[in-house]
Amino acid sequence: MNWFGVLVGLATLCIIGLGFGWVIRGERYLGYLWWPYTMGLGILCVLGSLFISNSWGSVLLGAFGASLIWGSTELKEQAVRGDLGWYPFLEKKKLPPFADVIKKWKAPSL
Amino acid sequence: MDINWLGLASALATFFGVWIGHVSVRKIEREVARIWIPATLALLFGIGLELASFRTSNLILSTICGIIGVTLLWDALELAVRQPKRIKHGHAPANPNNPRHVQILATHPEATTVDVLNRDPRGTPYTSAELNSIKEHGV
Repeated sequence: MNWFGVLVGLATLCIIGLGFGWVIRGERYLGYLWWPYTMGLGILCVLGSLFISNSWGSVLLGAFGASLIWGSTELKEQAVRGDLGWYPFLEKKKLPPFADVIKKWKAPSL
Repeated sequence: MDINWLGLASALATFFGVWIGHVSVRKIEREVARIWIPATLALLFGIGLELASFRTSNLILSTICGIIGVTLLWDALELAVRQPKRIKHGHAPANPNNPRHVQILATHPEATTVDVLNRDPRGTPYTSAELNSIKEHGV
């Protein structure tokens, strides 16, 4: 009998739920062009989890990193949802550094 | 320093669980008329994986089963409730070859066969005339 995985599953559900929140709010106030930064941060979290010896620490950081990477691929679609009026729309966003370069890249959407 | 593979296991299970769930919920809900069948299967497999996660003493296996199990339980909810709601609101395209969607198209004026989300962000809100045109003609 081992509650570890079941509890990890529940914690992951909460982390994914958190993802809904930051994708919606992040896109509204900052815009989808932040996606390479959130993706980079997610990759760093997953790499960092390799070096945490504590089981819970490693598992939670890994799941959080994965959810950051997934959220990065959702930002572009969320921007379209904002344009369509499905979510409150804010015209003035706080753009990331190198926004004009990132704009030329194809934003991921899975 | 020892490498702890638990975090990578949980990251991969989370990312692929969400990705595969995201894609297959849309596809299955679009094609299947009796949606309670795949929804029940996802529910049963989800419960089964949680039981497997409970019974194994291997932490990596327990983590993977626990996370994939929970995403399957979420997929059951998506299949039965959330995705059909998107179809009704026109937020996801209805399939005119699926009798269940034909019913939705007949009873929900917001529903459409157009994939409204399939466009690039433009940074300005659409007017209601533009939204109507997208819904009718896709552009």
